[in-house]
Amino acid sequence: MIRRLWALSRKELRQLFASPIAYVVLTVYVALTGIYFFQHLVSYNQLLFVYQSEGLTAGGFDQGTVPSQINVLNEVFVPSADDFGLFLLVVLPLVTMRVFAEERANGTDELLLTCGLRPYEVALAKHGVTYFFVLLLLLGSAIYPAVVVLRAGLGLEHLVALYSGQLLYGCAVASLGLACSSFTSSQIVAAVLGYAIPFVLLDFAWLSNTVSESVAAVLREVALLSHYGSFARGVIELRHVVYFAGIAGLGWLASVASLELARAR
Amino acid sequence: MSAKIEAQGVCKRFGKVVALDALSLEIAAGEIFGLIGPNGAGKTTFIRILTGYWLASEGDVRVDGLSVTRQRFQVQARLGYACEQPKLYPDHRVDKFLHMMGELRGLAGAKLRRATDLAVERLGLGPVLHRHIGVLSKGFRQRVALAQAILHEPAVLVVDEPTVGLDPAQQIELRRILVGFKGQHTVVLCTHQLHEAEMVCDRVALLDQGRLAALATADEIRAGGSLEALFLAKVGTHHEEAP
Repeated sequence: MIRRLWALSRKELRQLFASPIAYVVLTVYVALTGIYFFQHLVSYNQLLFVYQSEGLTAGGFDQGTVPSQINVLNEVFVPSADDFGLFLLVVLPLVTMRVFAEERANGTDELLLTCGLRPYEVALAKHGVTYFFVLLLLLGSAIYPAVVVLRAGLGLEHLVALYSGQLLYGCAVASLGLACSSFTSSQIVAAVLGYAIPFVLLDFAWLSNTVSESVAAVLREVALLSHYGSFARGVIELRHVVYFAGIAGLGWLASVASLELARAR
Repeated sequence: MSAKIEAQGVCKRFGKVVALDALSLEIAAGEIFGLIGPNGAGKTTFIRILTGYWLASEGDVRVDGLSVTRQRFQVQARLGYACEQPKLYPDHRVDKFLHMMGELRGLAGAKLRRATDLAVERLGLGPVLHRHIGVLSKGFRQRVALAQAILHEPAVLVVDEPTVGLDPAQQIELRRILVGFKGQHTVVLCTHQLHEAEMVCDRVALLDQGRLAALATADEIRAGGSLEALFLAKVGTHHEEAP
């Protein structure tokens, strides 16, 4: 089974990088995260300058003293994590839309599903390679936060927590996109669904005033954002890890189910 | 290295459309068996059920006594399939593609190398081995599809419309290759080319509207004139395709 998975994964990697989409998405994501991280860093530096200048002129603060809540974690890392999460939501469906839908449209799924491969193996390889691509995206964008961590002495644990959260969140979003792709032969339909479902799941705050408190509490637990925020603050909580792993697992199961359902069409 | 195939009351329905209607037939081990019929007769549907790609609505197909419905993966391990209009990966090189398909079939190491070398030799793929599938002619793509299907020395080889779109020289060459499989594999050949079925097959089944309209051996076909005569007698020329 391992050999088959490895062969399938190599095929998926070859197909992924044979298309310009992977390179465009990588470039755009790394550029966007770099620009926005730099902007937050500039804003933080301006804030420091303002506080320190006030200390000199109005006597409100002494030079060098800044309120404790104004720190690189709150001013740079937390808002950057929100931006990065949104960017993942924007770019990932562009990658996931092709994965199953193209195979079905070209008829190559017939080749795979008649050569003795189990549908769960096909889905496992496709999900695994897409998660690897998410990891590549994150590694590309990690250089700026890594420099800040080293320069600000914030601690490696913040960086590890931030990127663990992003990886889990990215895999969950990718998994939903892959599940959408597995139910259609149209890449456009897969992309639209791949955007719609994670965006709906992102946050249910807009519904909180129209539903009962108990329903609102459940919706809060279901929302992606409720589980994403704490990672940026340097905390890895098991329940959030389980939530994202659960979403990724459900996406994989949906992909397997779609391959089996197609057989009984 | 060949296996018997038995189809018993195989039905396939797509909503209200009946693609296969209680089809029963037996294919002996080692024979080249042709499936002919007009468009929509159920040939490709039967092949997709035989290969485990689709599930029959009713009935079952057995390969070597194994049920396609219940033992799909064991059946697929004994089966090679070259589908219609070869569905391959154009961005793969021929050698890499065959290597990958061998690995997916569970071959490895020296066994895999031997299997790919043999398939390349049998299908004459040497000149295009390092070329991308996307730039190959239809004839060579068809050969690549056949090569991946025979890598694991399957007991049953299923070939769907292998000569569609090929020039006459390629058709003749491909038929020669198919005839070469006789005795080594049970070959199920689905084709629209009546003369091809006549030349290559030991027996031919004529399907019409999902049912078995006729079943004849090569000798019976010759005795009756030609396969075309049989086709005209059973189906006619103004066949309406099922909606």
